[in-house]
Amino acid sequence: MPGLPVDLDACIERLYKRELLAEPVIEAICAKTKELLMRESNVVHILSPVTVVGDIHGQFYDLLEIFRIGGFCPDTNYLFLGDYVDRGLFSVETISLLVCLKLRYPNRVHLIRGNHESRGVTQSYGFYTECARKYGSANVWHHFTDMFDFLTLSVVINNDIFCVHGGLSPSIHSIDQIKIIDRFREIPHEGPMADLVWSDPDAERDEFALSPRGAGYTFGAQVVKKFLEINNFSHILRAHQLCQEGYQVLYDDRLSTVWSAPNYCYRCGNLASVLEVDDAGSRFFNVFDQAPENAENRVDQQPMEKAQVEYFL
Amino acid sequence: MSMPPPPTALPTPQNMATVMPTAVDAGKSITVSSFKITTRKLPILNAQEIDVMTEKLGIAPPEMIFGNNIVSIEKVGGSGEGWKIEFNALEALDLVDKTGNDMLKVAYSAAWQKQREKMHEGIKEVVKPFDWTYSTNYQGSISGTQEFAPTTDQIPLDKLRRPDPILFFDDVMLYEDELADNGMSILSVKIRVMPARLLLLARFYMRLDDVVFRIRDTRVFVEFADGVVLREYQEKEDSYENVKKKFPPYRDDTPAIMRDPNQMAEYLPLKSVKVEKLVL
Repeated sequence: MPGLPVDLDACIERLYKRELLAEPVIEAICAKTKELLMRESNVVHILSPVTVVGDIHGQFYDLLEIFRIGGFCPDTNYLFLGDYVDRGLFSVETISLLVCLKLRYPNRVHLIRGNHESRGVTQSYGFYTECARKYGSANVWHHFTDMFDFLTLSVVINNDIFCVHGGLSPSIHSIDQIKIIDRFREIPHEGPMADLVWSDPDAERDEFALSPRGAGYTFGAQVVKKFLEINNFSHILRAHQLCQEGYQVLYDDRLSTVWSAPNYCYRCGNLASVLEVDDAGSRFFNVFDQAPENAENRVDQQPMEKAQVEYFL
Repeated sequence: MSMPPPPTALPTPQNMATVMPTAVDAGKSITVSSFKITTRKLPILNAQEIDVMTEKLGIAPPEMIFGNNIVSIEKVGGSGEGWKIEFNALEALDLVDKTGNDMLKVAYSAAWQKQREKMHEGIKEVVKPFDWTYSTNYQGSISGTQEFAPTTDQIPLDKLRRPDPILFFDDVMLYEDELADNGMSILSVKIRVMPARLLLLARFYMRLDDVVFRIRDTRVFVEFADGVVLREYQEKEDSYENVKKKFPPYRDDTPAIMRDPNQMAEYLPLKSVKVEKLVL
């Protein structure tokens, strides 16, 4: 990569071994990634074959498992649907590796923004704490979260499959309306950008409905149908929701949820999947279980197998 | 330049669709002085099981729903035989307000609603209102004829502070929800069994960012020798604003503490407490 004062291949090699990169290296890599992402549209068009990955949430060993199952970069093209950080033990290693792969193979790796790629959410759910603990300061967290503001919001595969982290928005009928969003900012609490990373499907309904939380939408069958018709797509592919089976298909095969964090939080016992879209555009869920290394690295998490005996009162 | 092969690149079967999660702890139990203690930990519910539960409850269950997990204490011999107290997610969630009367709103709800009114006046439908924080006052499900009665007795903390050997310990999650990243809601049950007594703690913890902190604790204490069962229920709660004041702004570990129900229990004022007793 021109203008980048670090050896990306060396960085990637270290990261595969779960070694941390030095803070100035992270700073340089994030700066370069911003430059790269800035040039991407809010709707990036790509072609299959591509393997689509859902939420990872810092489960680094399960990310390695995905590469073992689906193929390493650049032999396999990857589209990641967001939520790289928080919750798991290795958010720093996970996002460091993904960003280096994006820089090294910009046309073979695509990263979409999830609702956890935000300053607000990462302060509550672990990434901030992890950065402060592993680097002794919040600087690395600042570098990464500043870079998150540049991640794209959606990808379209083969002009046919619409990919987003959360779902649809009542403000968006055509993807042209996504293209005009000013995305270079913290994820707002309301509006189309928030909806794209936050909303969930509701198979019981036809239209949009308000969440009982007093903020956020669910979208129903007719909304999906209309969106696909208007844009001449056949399928919506999203992540954002945990499912025990690792994936879920709704609305007569018009929408799929792909979930890629097996045994989520090291205690849910769920499966995970990646979705492989082949040359012809056919979709195949590759389902997998948690990586064997997880067992050896659960120190401050609560493993399912053994509870830490404590004299609680 | 091509990348060197990663050290962890091992051949893996392409299709692992048939691999099921192993039920690593499908159930364990111990019987001490005719009290049988059982815990069971299984994976979260699958889509089909979630549908069944949703049907039974009438509300959408939390994101992480351990519907097959249980903790139970059962009298298996002598007087009071067959009496049992069990903790499970379904019955805990059945006590969540399903009317929307106790409904809290996220901190930015007002601003969000205002914005929405401008943009999408057509959308009026609210997904069935219910207490989406999944706050419950669940104190266990009892079978058997013996009933608890109010008492002035207290759980004997001095006896529980002794370093008696722990014959059996478990920590069982019943449900957890991230409140769409507006905080957290979690119900879990811990139990420890010593040679002469046991203590169970079912703790509900809920943090709604910029709104409120809430803890609801049910403790069950059993003294095996005299068959005395004490059940204590406590509610603790405070506004987010009040709690936040107790944390100096320079502390880096505040978010980590606020994720930990056990640490937060020290920061929240007691709102109510009641103790009940029965003798088996």
